[in-house]
Amino acid sequence: MPGMNSGLNDNNPVLVAAFRAALLHQGLIVLLIFAVLAVAWVSAREWLRPGKAASPASAEPAWRQLLRIGFGALWIIDGLLQAQPAMAAGLPSQVIEPTAASSPSWVQHIVNWAGTAWSYHPIQAGAAVVWIQIGIGVWLITAARGSWSRLAGLASVAWGLVVWVFGESLGGIFAPGLTWLFGAPGAAAFYCAAGVLIALPERSWATARIGRTILAAAGAFFIGMAVLQAWPGRGFWPGTRHGQRGTLASMVHAMASTPQPSLLAGWVRGFGSFTAANGFAVNLFAVIALAAIGTALVTVAAGRGPAWLGRAMLIATIALCLADWVLVEDFGFFGGLGTDPNSMIPIILLVGAGYLALAPAPAPAAEPATAQPTAEPAAAELVTTGTGPAWRPARLARAFGAASTRAVLAAWAVAMIILGAAPMALAQASPNASPILAQAIDGDSAPLNFAAAPFTLTDQDGRQVSLASLHGKVVLLTFLDPVCTSDCPLIAQEFRQADQVLGAKSHGVELVAIVTNPLYHSVAYTRAFDTQERLTGLPNWLYLTGSLAQLQQTWKNYAIAAEIAPAGGMILHNDVAYVIDANGRTRTELNLDPGPGTASTKSSFAGELAAAAEHVMRPS
Amino acid sequence: MSPGRLPAALPATLAAVILLIAGALAGCGSTPAATPSGPAVPVAAPPLQTSFADGTGTSWAVVEMGGSAAQEENFWEMFARPAGAAAWRLVTPAGVADNGGLVAAPAGGASLLTGFLPSQDLTFSPLADTSDSGAHWATAGPVNPGLADVPDALAARPDGNLIALTSGGAKLGQYGGTGWTRLITAQALAATPAGKPCQVTGLTAVAFGSAGAPVLGTGCGRPAFAGIFTESGGRWHAAGPAVPNAGEDVEVLRLASAGTGLVALLQVGRGPDAGTIAGWYDGTRWTLSAPLRTGSVRSTAIGPGGSVGIILNATHAATLAGPGASWRTLPALPRWAATLALGPGGQVDAIAAHASTFTDWRLAPAGWGQQQTIRVTVPYGSSG
Repeated sequence: MPGMNSGLNDNNPVLVAAFRAALLHQGLIVLLIFAVLAVAWVSAREWLRPGKAASPASAEPAWRQLLRIGFGALWIIDGLLQAQPAMAAGLPSQVIEPTAASSPSWVQHIVNWAGTAWSYHPIQAGAAVVWIQIGIGVWLITAARGSWSRLAGLASVAWGLVVWVFGESLGGIFAPGLTWLFGAPGAAAFYCAAGVLIALPERSWATARIGRTILAAAGAFFIGMAVLQAWPGRGFWPGTRHGQRGTLASMVHAMASTPQPSLLAGWVRGFGSFTAANGFAVNLFAVIALAAIGTALVTVAAGRGPAWLGRAMLIATIALCLADWVLVEDFGFFGGLGTDPNSMIPIILLVGAGYLALAPAPAPAAEPATAQPTAEPAAAELVTTGTGPAWRPARLARAFGAASTRAVLAAWAVAMIILGAAPMALAQASPNASPILAQAIDGDSAPLNFAAAPFTLTDQDGRQVSLASLHGKVVLLTFLDPVCTSDCPLIAQEFRQADQVLGAKSHGVELVAIVTNPLYHSVAYTRAFDTQERLTGLPNWLYLTGSLAQLQQTWKNYAIAAEIAPAGGMILHNDVAYVIDANGRTRTELNLDPGPGTASTKSSFAGELAAAAEHVMRPS
Repeated sequence: MSPGRLPAALPATLAAVILLIAGALAGCGSTPAATPSGPAVPVAAPPLQTSFADGTGTSWAVVEMGGSAAQEENFWEMFARPAGAAAWRLVTPAGVADNGGLVAAPAGGASLLTGFLPSQDLTFSPLADTSDSGAHWATAGPVNPGLADVPDALAARPDGNLIALTSGGAKLGQYGGTGWTRLITAQALAATPAGKPCQVTGLTAVAFGSAGAPVLGTGCGRPAFAGIFTESGGRWHAAGPAVPNAGEDVEVLRLASAGTGLVALLQVGRGPDAGTIAGWYDGTRWTLSAPLRTGSVRSTAIGPGGSVGIILNATHAATLAGPGASWRTLPALPRWAATLALGPGGQVDAIAAHASTFTDWRLAPAGWGQQQTIRVTVPYGSSG
């Protein structure tokens, strides 16, 4: 999957520090917003006569409370997991890429887009996901009723879909090895289902139909998963094959091998060994358990079966899911960069909600005398109280004062989501990757100010070119080996991209490379390099060479070492670029080791080069 | 239907739908059935590890050393043993990372032309030549696109004419010249009257014939047909031998000038049952050896007088002294044997290469005896 990750170390100290700083800054703003909202709300209540909140038509049923608070808590946990220091650089390579690896190419193509977008702006993306997920969680928990609460459900659906498609590669449903035991069809799919249920209008709460629908869908899901688990040829039946672990045993073993507390690793390893030795029996148990629970769920949904069946079904579901969560899914977030507790807890919440929803809906709550935390009017409802146009400041303030604590907290949660999403949206508007990637590889550039050493060399077309002849233009100068296999081609691509970033300003910039190979330095080689790197059509590109003596003098003047490596090695030279202003003065030195040479790092270096050129183009 | 009750058929319908979906998903995850391969069978690349002798009797060996190719920590090294000398010396040309591989072609006398195969982001092939058995090198070339991944991707004549087998077909060039002209591509050769009966699957080797005409080796999709073609008068002619009793496709592994003729190594069939046949062309007719069941060979060697040697696996190797001779199975090879090196008078050396150690083992009546060890300063990390 080209371009999906930045190729940088997940724990790169520059990226980790920048991610922490971004979270800290945004966290302070989140607290500030909270403080402002709180002060404004208290003030409005104290000094204005607040309007009266709309009374609820009915109390929130238990099943909805369970979903709202349960999935709200899960979103908050997911958000906190996203704040792990290595997440900014590591999510594409540690989470997205492995998940997509076994999916068909069209799925990988879709996922690659998101991975690339993340790798271009890892800090903004990482921080955005933290605040969006915590924000949705807080929103779900605090907004108990009304339009805001339903909107929270829809937000959960929307973000859950984003996570399911891009983070979980559509839950891996098109990949081989799909199994309920490892969380198929993806935890985010259950977040979406819960969001839909939370977003249902209040009139749907009145009957047990919703409970029956949830249980019927869950039953069909369990039966389908049993069929998948039992399907011949998918590799789940044998514990070992040809002396190697079978599909299930190797998946459990892989899970046990990830870093985690030793006690837990021991459990998982033990279960892995047991599965390897008794693969058929373990799979048979899984198939029977899934089929039995599925059948029980469908039976209860149809209103048939004995009275105890519903409770037994619920207990069995919880027991099976918890066993799988601990022994197979490894709690979902141990090992590598865990992003969520996987799908067992969401399944328990959904089945539990379905079971609770079978009970008759509670009677409407008594109308409160004043606005209390239990009352949860929507924002739209708030501004309908009082007299006069809704948008008048005084009326808005009164309505705000009438809002409940939960409504204020929900507004804060929405602000948190916007705060997280806005920087990422702004970053995405730029086609260039964040400069932090270049800094993470090579550190900051060094400002200089001295006359650049003159040179007169031969370009790729055989013409003599001197530095003096480029007077009046900014010169981006680098040193490239035409037969280099790794760094130099990448640097050339970064120069070409920098030209594109500069756009119309590139007319004032000359991109110049000087050969750094003491053996292969003929014009035939600079031409071959230009063809290889598609530089032949670039009007402001010059690849200069000369006699060995001329080149050695130029290398000396620009502190370039070009050492011949023995026994088939590449010429050893330093990767550097100089920015020379229109008056022939060296203004900046950039370390230009291209690092992993991924799409995002190349874009980042190109942006850095273009920015450095633009900087010296400005009148001082 | 009461508002709180689902239709009785709905759960069953849902279950049926889910069953269908589960079946479809299970199908997605199944291993696809094998599909029959098309007529254009891809050519299996012959091994690059090799040795050969030039016209002066100097022996040359090209072996892979260092570490993992995936990490670009592998380096291809060239060693030379001048005629009459007892010891090998490292003569790898400098200035280019050679992780992709090295190929070489004797150019008459003590001259040798070497090409670097593309690797990582380098897509063309730098060339270097020596006229003193590798003591000094001069740059030549480049060839664009890069040389093909076969040991006989270059051919040179003393008059300066060159053939390069590239990923874009065979090209003609000149020492000191600035450009290359297209000779022919595999597709074009396959479409010629000479190429059609062979059902050319790809170009595998280039050489010059005794009269200076270009000669190409190919893989053939048609059984029993050895794909060797030569050009004269602007037309291509089949010049390979018929391979008797070969019910499978034949591929030219090696093709080299030998005296006034050619020597070729042919692979018959594929996989563990593949066999190897040596062929010698004296300018008028081909002489073929008996086939030797070898599987895919690990390295090939061409020595003086048209002698050939092959390494089959970690322990087995065989040689042929020349036209009319029989295969001679050698004693179990020393560890890390990379290629055989054949010298005058039936001398057989096994060149072992592992990490940074080159070892020359000489075959004596009592078995293999260690002749020489060279520690190579492998430039780890210089190409990553």
